[in-house]
Amino acid sequence: MKHITFIVTKDCQLACKYCYLVGKNTGERMSWPTAKAAIDYILGNREIFDDDGVVWEFIGGEPFLEIDLIDRICDYIKREMFRLGHPWFDNYRFLFATNGINYGSAKVQAFISKNIKHLSIGITIDGTQRKHDLNRIWKDDGTGEERGSYADVLRNIPLWRRQFPNDGTKVTISSEDIPYIKESVLHLYSLGIRDVKINCVFEDVWREGDDRLFEDQLVELADAIVDNGYYNGYDCSFFNERIGRPLDPEVDNSNWCGSGRMLSVDAAGNFYPCTRFAAYSLRVKRPRIIGNVRDGIDLNKLRPFLSLDRTTQSPGKCIECEVASGCAWCQGENYDAALTDTIFQRSTAICLMHKARVRANNYYWNRLYRKLADEGRREEFENKRKSQSTQSFSC
Amino acid sequence: MLKYLVVLLDRTSAAFCHADNPYSVRELMPLPVLQEALLFAMKENLSVQFVYPDYELPDEYVSMIDSVDHIDIRHVVGGDVCVLDGMDGDAEIDGDNVVIRTTSVELIDNLPSLIGLMSRATHVAVVLTDMLSMSDERLGRYGEFLSDLEREVAGMIQSGVVPQINLLTDRLFLAEMNNCNAGWESVTVAPDGRLYVCPAFYYEDESDSIGRLPAGPDMRNGRLLRLDHAPICRRCDAFQCRRCVWLNRKLTLEVNTPGREQCVVSHLERNASRRLLERIRPAVDFLRDNDICEIDYLDPFETIRL
Repeated sequence: MKHITFIVTKDCQLACKYCYLVGKNTGERMSWPTAKAAIDYILGNREIFDDDGVVWEFIGGEPFLEIDLIDRICDYIKREMFRLGHPWFDNYRFLFATNGINYGSAKVQAFISKNIKHLSIGITIDGTQRKHDLNRIWKDDGTGEERGSYADVLRNIPLWRRQFPNDGTKVTISSEDIPYIKESVLHLYSLGIRDVKINCVFEDVWREGDDRLFEDQLVELADAIVDNGYYNGYDCSFFNERIGRPLDPEVDNSNWCGSGRMLSVDAAGNFYPCTRFAAYSLRVKRPRIIGNVRDGIDLNKLRPFLSLDRTTQSPGKCIECEVASGCAWCQGENYDAALTDTIFQRSTAICLMHKARVRANNYYWNRLYRKLADEGRREEFENKRKSQSTQSFSC
Repeated sequence: MLKYLVVLLDRTSAAFCHADNPYSVRELMPLPVLQEALLFAMKENLSVQFVYPDYELPDEYVSMIDSVDHIDIRHVVGGDVCVLDGMDGDAEIDGDNVVIRTTSVELIDNLPSLIGLMSRATHVAVVLTDMLSMSDERLGRYGEFLSDLEREVAGMIQSGVVPQINLLTDRLFLAEMNNCNAGWESVTVAPDGRLYVCPAFYYEDESDSIGRLPAGPDMRNGRLLRLDHAPICRRCDAFQCRRCVWLNRKLTLEVNTPGREQCVVSHLERNASRRLLERIRPAVDFLRDNDICEIDYLDPFETIRL
């Protein structure tokens, strides 16, 4: 599945403290001619974009600030895919990650009605009000007062749940958020959000002792999930049976990150291997441009991304790590943090947090299976998980 | 591990590889810097390669240079390596090792000149200076040129003359990668004492230095210059390829990732070497154990794309 991202604006109503987009601004908005040129190039070059299906993603800033442009883009994409007899016409989705503030507006709702069969929308809500408002604050309105956005998002959650009952939310954990992890995940469950994708930021923000606090929070969360039966029908991505094992340097050598297999286009019409390589995402490094809507993709500049493997970019401690599986990285952050202008140097800022997660994860599964065994339901649970896992593979 | 120190005696020293030397104003390496370079080479056990400008050096330089074992690289005959800019079949080469810097277009149009130079040189290394602008059409013509060259070389070998040319015969004798390995096995010192991965990095951006004498190189992410950290190259058998890390960075933005042009050029050469081997094997009694298998790609990237 090809993933194509339109950076439609670099503006947002919020100024989240952990936002990796360091160069947000109100000036860089995608124009219709740029968007059209990108679509024409992508749909016209099937030999480069030969995937069976496509996800057209719209991000910002806040994408719904540009709902008129997005509506026009999506209409054009559908029309062109049909006109060209493109295989993607039968296999496409429009994907949004929004702060949820404009979700209930008439224009956004009209767009949703028109496209709902091919639409996935995730609203970012970080958890309880105090957790959410800790980071997700409004831009300074001149008063100098910090104002959280929780209430403005929450009012749209019931509508979103009705329209997209299966879509989840994405929660990002930074150092200050650690004490609120448990209550936040449980709060999201209470709002009817069953799928919580949650991860620690990849940037080097961690303080001494954070890993222990993090582990304690996850253990408390594990207890709550097990004791309250949330393991049936709810998901929290911190807990995963596949993480925490050693990886074979030969067999398990794939890159974690999908950059290079994705494509992002910005307001200037430049192409990037992923949004994280655009200027507004980078603290230190120059943007990594791999082409533009006029000249197309420079395939030479994609070669490093498509030949990049795990071991070539990893330091010895990662290759020998006994709990390596599930330890993620972001290629853009690797690039930004690297000593030289390379994507081949893996940042290990997340190392201790991953190890803490593995310990808590082990605890979770041990507790859960013991409980299920005591109740005589372990086999049934495992069979159900196996069948779900087979189904997801066959998709 | 470092093995070689390349000493650019002057800013205008002869370019001998893919990159042109953009500098035209002379700036001779100060004698103390030269002395420092030689001391560094001796302490680090490095072989020294001096690259000369097109003017005569003062006597004190000559005697200092002669105080160490070394190789001379210059535009004129009489050194160890003679650099020719462009195809000149009549060039005076005096049995030297010759480096010919030329474009693919000029090379293709001058096969007889190349044959003539090959018959008079110990070894000819052709370095293409238009690698950054190779079109598919030009790559196709280069492949045809190599076929013509292969037939000529086979004829020479069958008549008892064994020419040596990097485009064809180097691969016959190699069982593993034999790349340039700049920055890994060699380092270049500029006239001001600063160190670079190779002369091309100096030509392109003087601020792209990796250290200074006498401290030596302090290379960040130096492992990426090694073959084992080059995902495409480490599985490749175009052993004669220069694996030019400067070209890599120009084309792909990464020193350890070759652009398609470098891969295709090297594989056209590799395949021509294979055809040459097949053609001459009945006539020669060496190379019995060497083999180059047939492959169905020109760009190894196609075989490793994950």
